[in-house]
Amino acid sequence: MIEPPEIREQAARQGAHRIVDAEEFQALLMGVLSPAYGYALRLTRNRSDAEDLVQDAALNACRSRHTFEAGTNFKAWFFHILTRCLWAGHRRAQRRPSTVDFEDVPDLYLYTQSTQHGYQVAGEDPARALIDQLGTERVVQALERLPEEFAIVCTLYFMEDFAYQEIADVLDVPVGTVRSRLHRGRRMLQKSLWDVAREAGIVKGPAPEDAR
Amino acid sequence: MTPLNRLTCEETFRQLDSWLDHELPVAEQHLVDEHLALCAACAREFRFEASLMQSVRSRLREVTLPPALQARVGDLLAVELSRSQEPG
Repeated sequence: MIEPPEIREQAARQGAHRIVDAEEFQALLMGVLSPAYGYALRLTRNRSDAEDLVQDAALNACRSRHTFEAGTNFKAWFFHILTRCLWAGHRRAQRRPSTVDFEDVPDLYLYTQSTQHGYQVAGEDPARALIDQLGTERVVQALERLPEEFAIVCTLYFMEDFAYQEIADVLDVPVGTVRSRLHRGRRMLQKSLWDVAREAGIVKGPAPEDAR
Repeated sequence: MTPLNRLTCEETFRQLDSWLDHELPVAEQHLVDEHLALCAACAREFRFEASLMQSVRSRLREVTLPPALQARVGDLLAVELSRSQEPG
């Protein structure tokens, strides 16, 4: 398809990168639709909202496709739009105020708690055994309990194979911020997983305020 | 490599996050791997962390794209892209 003149002129004003044609754009977007839906679902925790979010983002992306430079990271570009749609549309999961204390969660939290409270860490793969016992829904529940800025970075990290810089590009933050939030977010997630496991009776242990 | 080039447990542990993310420079990766080959305690901790991350990743990725959504987005794109091609 031949691009309308006004789109080419706009691209030229913006710095003359090659824009993809309609057919290529559609193929690129359909190719990232599945991971985009997964990301949207984890952040909205609601299938209907996730579907609406993905549709809105697809439409926005289509209307701003002249800003995508051919040959660059389309997935990161689309996830950037998706994240902005999330924030703009306020379709975030209804987050209950967190009662979990996430301040200064130490390193190796889950490993240490498991050892101290009798959950076997000497087996072949104790981490996987614990997560298998929790199941997907409880793992998602644990992620949901994180403060939003940490949940988003962790979700991008776990759902996709983005490098730090790609996550920084998606979120429009410095790469140092991504590194810091991811490292801290992973520690928070470990505490959250332990709390969910304890609430489910999978592990024994004291109440959260005593588990430090 | 001389003993002076080997990492202590504490030095190795400081690299855990970067090691998990495959963000270590080659030389440091080598030093960490060497320590893990020699120190069972650190190896057990690193293995636990890596398995934990991988297990969480697998669980969170258990999502299936609804076929109806795929169809709707395909149709939406087709309409929008063809509209942008219309003259005037």
